[in-house]
Amino acid sequence: MAEPVYILGGYQTDFARNWTKENKHIMALIREAVIGGLAETGIDPREVEVGHVGNFAAELYAMQGHLGAFLVDADPAFSGLPTSRHEAACASGSIALLAASAEIEAGRYDLAMVVGVEQMKTVDPKTGGDYLGTAAWYEREAEGVEFPFPKLFGKLGDEYDKRYGLKDEHLAHISAVNYSNAKRNPLAQTRSWYMTEDHANSTDKFNSIIGGRIKISDCSQVTDGAVTVFLASAKGAAAYAKQRGIDLAKLPKILGWGHRTAPIEFTTKVAESAGNEYILPHTRRAIVDAFDRAGVSGVADVDAIETHDCFTTSEYMAIDHFGLTKPGESWKAIEDGTIELGGKTPINPSGGLIGAGHPVGATGCRQLLDAYKQVTNTAGDYQVDGAKKIATLNIGGSGTTSCCFVVGH
Amino acid sequence: MRKIEKVVVLGANGTMGAGSAEVFAAGGCEVILLARSADKAQAGLEAAQGMAKSTTIGSLMKAGSYDDDLEKAVAGADLIFEALAEDMEIKKEFFARVSKARQADSIVATVSSGLSITEMAAAGDASFAKNFLGIHLFNPPNVIVGTEVIPHAGTDAALIDPIVELLENRFGRVVTLCRDLPAFAGNRVGFKVLNEVAQLAAEHGVAYMDYVVGPYTGRAMPPLATVDLVGLDVHKAIVDNVHANTADEAHDCFALPAYVQKLIDNGHLGNKTGALGGFYRRVKENGKNVRYVLDPASGDYRAPTDAVVEPVPFIEEISKLHRVGRYREAMQLFVEAKGKEADIARKVIFGYVSYALNRVGDGEVVREPRDVDRIMGFGFNWAPPTVLADIIGHRETIAQIEKYGLQVPAVLAKAAGDSPLFREPNVNIGRFFSA
Repeated sequence: MAEPVYILGGYQTDFARNWTKENKHIMALIREAVIGGLAETGIDPREVEVGHVGNFAAELYAMQGHLGAFLVDADPAFSGLPTSRHEAACASGSIALLAASAEIEAGRYDLAMVVGVEQMKTVDPKTGGDYLGTAAWYEREAEGVEFPFPKLFGKLGDEYDKRYGLKDEHLAHISAVNYSNAKRNPLAQTRSWYMTEDHANSTDKFNSIIGGRIKISDCSQVTDGAVTVFLASAKGAAAYAKQRGIDLAKLPKILGWGHRTAPIEFTTKVAESAGNEYILPHTRRAIVDAFDRAGVSGVADVDAIETHDCFTTSEYMAIDHFGLTKPGESWKAIEDGTIELGGKTPINPSGGLIGAGHPVGATGCRQLLDAYKQVTNTAGDYQVDGAKKIATLNIGGSGTTSCCFVVGH
Repeated sequence: MRKIEKVVVLGANGTMGAGSAEVFAAGGCEVILLARSADKAQAGLEAAQGMAKSTTIGSLMKAGSYDDDLEKAVAGADLIFEALAEDMEIKKEFFARVSKARQADSIVATVSSGLSITEMAAAGDASFAKNFLGIHLFNPPNVIVGTEVIPHAGTDAALIDPIVELLENRFGRVVTLCRDLPAFAGNRVGFKVLNEVAQLAAEHGVAYMDYVVGPYTGRAMPPLATVDLVGLDVHKAIVDNVHANTADEAHDCFALPAYVQKLIDNGHLGNKTGALGGFYRRVKENGKNVRYVLDPASGDYRAPTDAVVEPVPFIEEISKLHRVGRYREAMQLFVEAKGKEADIARKVIFGYVSYALNRVGDGEVVREPRDVDRIMGFGFNWAPPTVLADIIGHRETIAQIEKYGLQVPAVLAKAAGDSPLFREPNVNIGRFFSA
């Protein structure tokens, strides 16, 4: 039996900020997230034993590599702290969390700090889209293509259409729900933006097509943001609980995890899954692995999901891959209100990547922190009543790297 | 609880009118936009669609004219929102019409940025006055969420809390409740600083002052560039109004400098008079934007190469610290820096903290420090006064205020401890400190 991994809390920066307009270096993002996390949890920086950074492409966006070293710069007490940086495209944050968890499970450390960070507004949208293309097989799928990722996730929709049928109005509803939830989240990027289901269903100069069936309203955001999460072993969590006079049983844990990687090229994935009821079977497998490790019989046992809606099609895929419906019937959970706040299994109470924002390397950490907030009843206006177990799904590339966590007590 | 489902916007062709219409429609209201002609109102409607980046928001809006539609529209409205020109006589004329046409339980609000709410309220009957208040949105309202709500003495007290709640929860506003005093809270405090910087520029120069009191002091945009954006005529209207109708500790800071009056007389109103400019004049040279700088003494504009400001080491160092998120150390350096520039900047900044927090309390513009914090943070995008006091330290802030011969605010003297005065849990204070 592996050592349990506790979540002690963390901190998210305001995803509406434009750090380039503030003329800030990526260090400022990391520092604010770290200092905010220490203040929020009351953790003494001297107690932190290891640091992990999740980041996709600071080399491109910010001309900066070696981000693990920047943790050390965030507080004098971190001088000498062992750190590293992890990359798996949009799943980078979850990979950093998995690395920290593995070290805790192995008994190496009792308190780990994980920071997910991405600064994306340093470049114009087209350049940014090109950088994001490196999460696909760049030379084959992205080079010379304007906004490659919307096109790839448009193809995911097309594949659904081919196998099961897909109506764009169901995608529009996914968008509207995420934007609507984001209005309740004081750190969400789009909290003051205008969006309705009618608008998401419209197609004109204000909601133009970016690639294939993907329109502006189907897309997640270009976001600057950083998130810190503290993970602890039973020993570390017990000390934390004792110092604060709280019951160890009140601290949530990562109950289970799943991690699978599919072939990077989208056409290879689709060819591989021909005849399979799941379009992305490895993503399905990551979810089932996490449920099995958590001792959860299925999606009926989780109270809400924070999923990867980089585009509406990826959330559409998540709905049946989580098992909320039979494969190909995601539209049923959209039509019957299952996924809405107040529904049976709300998806993205935070607003997700579409509403809350998608600072690529920070997203996995943001999802886990939101899961923590839900199960500790501290999510404020986007709290899911009585949430005890939350599942997260974080995806890198076109359904390539899939990471799933189940968080609860 | 009053409902707001149907809104009429008067002056819908202007930026504030169209922007207000966008805010109300985005909150799900049906909005009738009125202007002198239906065509002008339609232009406002299209501007609102542009702000929302949505054509479909237009399905909640209708355009009409004062002559053909005002009485009928007002009779069916829950909220009549006035965004006409900042001219008391014009506003009163329309309020008299509104007063006759409106339902007894409808709310009437003005977006005015500083005219007397009490005087406007008297333009209609008793029911009009009881249901009248100021809702001051900042430009552009769909982006800037800071909002002032200004009841007058006769506003129905039962109206105020529900309106504030609606504005915050349904329309996404960050509300400051103000008393009906000249320029209310945000412009009173903000334009005190802006005009003081304009005064100092007469001696020290425009580019110099924008550098010395630049973004590193806790603002998104330098002060005089801000006045250019607002318009020098609007700036004058605000400071003249405060100068004529208040007598506080910073009265002299509201005297419009003679060179600014001269600019206005010559039609130099800032960004909106592009070719003439204001404090700056943007010129296209060989396809490139070049920013000329006003010389206040001569009224001439100098090429950027002739208006170079020598970098000041402490300012450069503070910017570097802000850039990597070391805000506390940066502001410590601000307090410790020596030399002429440090003294000029500190007098303005501690003057801001002092003046802003002195507007809090009985008989003053707002009740709580939080109110002035909110409008400076979310109306002006400036570091709120308590953010500066917290990050510098309350005792040090008091010492600096005293050092520059300014008034120590009672709220600060009372706090004078280490527990932070700024209490907005979801606001990242780092956002206010630009490098």
